[in-house]
Amino acid sequence: MVAAPREGLLRRTVTAGLVAGVVLVYLSMVGLVEAFSHRQAVTGIGAEAGPGLLTLGRVMIGGAVFLGGLILSGRLSQLAAPSAVGRLMVVGGAALSGLIAGSVLALFVLVVSVIDVRGVFLSVTPALLDYLTFDQGPALGALIILMSLGIISALAGGIRLLGLQDRGAVLKALTAALLISLLEPLLRPILGQLELADVNRFLYAGGGLTQPAAAVILGGVAAASWAWARPAAPLRQRVRDLPGEQRRMIGIGAALAAFIGLLILPQISTGFVSLVLVNVGFFLLLALGLNIVVGYAGLLDLGYVAFYAVGAYTVAVLISPSSSAGGPITELVGTAWAFWVALPIVMITAALVGIFIGAPVLRLRGDYLAIVTLGFGEIARILFGSDALRPWVGGPGGVIGLPNLQLPVVGFQFTSPSQYIYPVIAFSALAAFVAWRLANSRTGRAWNAIREDESVAAATGVNITNYKLLAFALGGTLGGLAGALFAVQLRSVYPGTFNIIVSFTVLAIIILGGMGTIRGVMVGALILVGLPEALREFGEYRFLLYGAALVAMMLLRPEGLFPSRIRRAELHEELPPEEQEQLPKSGGGGLAVSAGPISTYGPGSQPGG
Amino acid sequence: MFRRPRRITLVGLVLWVVRISVVVGVLAGSWATLSEGRLSGGAWFGLLTSGLSQGAIYALIALGYTLVYGVLFMINFAHGEVFMMGAFSGMFVAFGLASTGLLEDQPVLALLVILAAAMLTSMIVAVTVERIAYRPLRRAPRLVPLITAIGASLFLQYTAFGLFGPRVRRYPPVELLEGRIDLLGISITRIQLLTIVASLLLMIVLYYWVERTRSGRAMRAVSENKDVSALMGIDVDRVIVTTFAVGGLLAGAAGVLYAFLFNRVEFIMGVLPGIKAFTAAVLGGIGSVPGAMLGGLMIGMLENVGPQLLLLGFDVPSTNQLRDVVAFVVLVLVLVFRPTGLFGRKELI
Repeated sequence: MVAAPREGLLRRTVTAGLVAGVVLVYLSMVGLVEAFSHRQAVTGIGAEAGPGLLTLGRVMIGGAVFLGGLILSGRLSQLAAPSAVGRLMVVGGAALSGLIAGSVLALFVLVVSVIDVRGVFLSVTPALLDYLTFDQGPALGALIILMSLGIISALAGGIRLLGLQDRGAVLKALTAALLISLLEPLLRPILGQLELADVNRFLYAGGGLTQPAAAVILGGVAAASWAWARPAAPLRQRVRDLPGEQRRMIGIGAALAAFIGLLILPQISTGFVSLVLVNVGFFLLLALGLNIVVGYAGLLDLGYVAFYAVGAYTVAVLISPSSSAGGPITELVGTAWAFWVALPIVMITAALVGIFIGAPVLRLRGDYLAIVTLGFGEIARILFGSDALRPWVGGPGGVIGLPNLQLPVVGFQFTSPSQYIYPVIAFSALAAFVAWRLANSRTGRAWNAIREDESVAAATGVNITNYKLLAFALGGTLGGLAGALFAVQLRSVYPGTFNIIVSFTVLAIIILGGMGTIRGVMVGALILVGLPEALREFGEYRFLLYGAALVAMMLLRPEGLFPSRIRRAELHEELPPEEQEQLPKSGGGGLAVSAGPISTYGPGSQPGG
Repeated sequence: MFRRPRRITLVGLVLWVVRISVVVGVLAGSWATLSEGRLSGGAWFGLLTSGLSQGAIYALIALGYTLVYGVLFMINFAHGEVFMMGAFSGMFVAFGLASTGLLEDQPVLALLVILAAAMLTSMIVAVTVERIAYRPLRRAPRLVPLITAIGASLFLQYTAFGLFGPRVRRYPPVELLEGRIDLLGISITRIQLLTIVASLLLMIVLYYWVERTRSGRAMRAVSENKDVSALMGIDVDRVIVTTFAVGGLLAGAAGVLYAFLFNRVEFIMGVLPGIKAFTAAVLGGIGSVPGAMLGGLMIGMLENVGPQLLLLGFDVPSTNQLRDVVAFVVLVLVLVFRPTGLFGRKELI
């Protein structure tokens, strides 16, 4: 790498350009560019009348190239000499890679403008071509693509050469502007409800930021970031110099403020915002439950949706007067108390189902456990939707007519999402508290031990079976709770909801945030559920995002965005090669059963034997 | 010698309850159905042939799981999507051939071209996934590549969704494959016959490859012990790529056959056959090539015959809906009671 720097530079540059180009063509072909092509990021840019040219689809393309240029120039600046020539090489390399990426996309445009591929690739429409070429026709459009992407990438290279403080300011300003523009569907109704119509009018027009607003945000954030990061900035220095106790207080205060903000938010915004939040809340509850099973105990459960379904169906059958059972609980105690009386039954049922599923599969190793639980999840979905169980759970039609959730003593009825958000928050907070207390308890430590090395844990006296069953039961309880809340909020239950994709969504949440941490789970739920819910452009592409997130996280940062300390240590415990050589080579049975770096040292097999 | 009585544990108790209820359920169900003569002999036979042809497809996919598991000890979760990609590419080639008229004039040649195109596509997808998603994780803890594989599976599914759309599509009609033929007094649809014959041929070729060729031997050596193989001069990475490629080829062929058999191509078509084929691989004993073949055939049969045999007698409505449950129940039962499967080795589980 260091021996032939120049050669390395060129190879990296070309590779980065090609990869970026392939990504651009992929985004276009798969229809993501088209999906985001209708909303403007900043209004009225480049067009005298009508919608501007800077739409989100183009921002996506430019942003991908910009990021690629930034990463590449980071690598290059490590390799290149810290001289004027070296700096020139960094910017030139970034520009070259942008040109290469642009030429790949331009080539794509030229090819599909000649050959009609719509019979195969549905998203490659004339509209897409017009969009990519700025309505200038393929030849001129290809040139525009080439030049603009080269310039964007060169800019990224230039930004890389700035000092840390300046670069941070520029990047933060760009990110902030993009976020505020992206979140228009959420922010605009909130501002509108706050009777800040003037702010709204200043910020947004036609789905995107207005030009003055963009300028103010860019300038403001850049200035703030610059002032904050100044080496001798008094504010930052003062915060740093605070004693640990006070810094923690500030952190807690910030968290409290955010929590209070969350409590007020549904009242000062529209139902849409609340609905997004309620959905995030359901997935947060699910993720907290799965986090106990996967994050704490290390048991990969891919059928977690089964508990969600069991919770929803149990509560539906128990309290809906139009269910097959006629809602026995509702008949017994009346609609006001029905949900609250049914809830313990639901949770116990879900826990029992957890034990029932867990018991037979406990002996299995991680990946088998995953497949079997996946099987259980599918069995649950098929059974709930089948005619065979129609007399009990309604078959494909599900159960309808659940009564509204009520607060019995006060006599309050929850009707809209902006009211349902409060029980969801309350139960999520409770679940988070339980999970937090568990993590540092004797039980939590036992789970840690099992996850890290089952044999050692057993040898030190941890009752493996019981602790694993406990994890399944607790995870199941939380899943059932989420299902019950989901059912009363929707006031109906359908088998189609409990798709396998729910399990994968929840898994993606805890993987992205960081297995085993509550903060990570919250951030994961917000990003992976909140963002696609708020941005309707995503549609079904959100699952593409989940898949990409799972792969990317495992490759780049397996411990997640907010890892727990233990987890990070576990995942980075790989031995240097010379130490691995000394491990026993054959019959590593003990190693094979544990969660160690097994793939290399697993005992042999003989296919066809 | 005095043997201390085993302590009865909760888990043990649950397992015994499951064991007993399975046996009782199977016996009672079969007796109830058979004694009442719910289905005619011909109907049972129809179920058997469709089970056999589906099973042959499961076997082809299962081989991909078992081969990869043999060398990497990893469940290639994205294998079902490799199968799906084969079905899609075969369909596009089929439409291309239909528009040139070759599909009508030379149906056999056209079918071979379709099959080859699908196998090639699936191979490329499988190898690409290995290169991008699995190779960097060779030394990571076990669950890491599994989660990556799940991610890759979702990613491929929704890539197909974006590229080809959510609509369910069909292959162009091929006259050669329509209708039934009588074979030794047995009536079977042509497409079922083609599926069974083609799958058997591919499996024979595969068996020959594993047992008789140099690269097959290299693969067996790698699955025995990677480090010793490397010391013997085997390029382990190349063998792993070859394994994925062979699995992909078989899955691509399975995709075309499946699409013809069920006349249905869509982006989520890989999920269920993928899991069922994995069940087949586990049933046969993961890592074992003949095991995967036999397991596939058995799953196909069980799935077609099972629900009718066990449930018709109890007057359960629409037993067909419960077909998919069968495979999962078999999976759970095998893993609980005989995790090594039919031909598997203890140390692999």
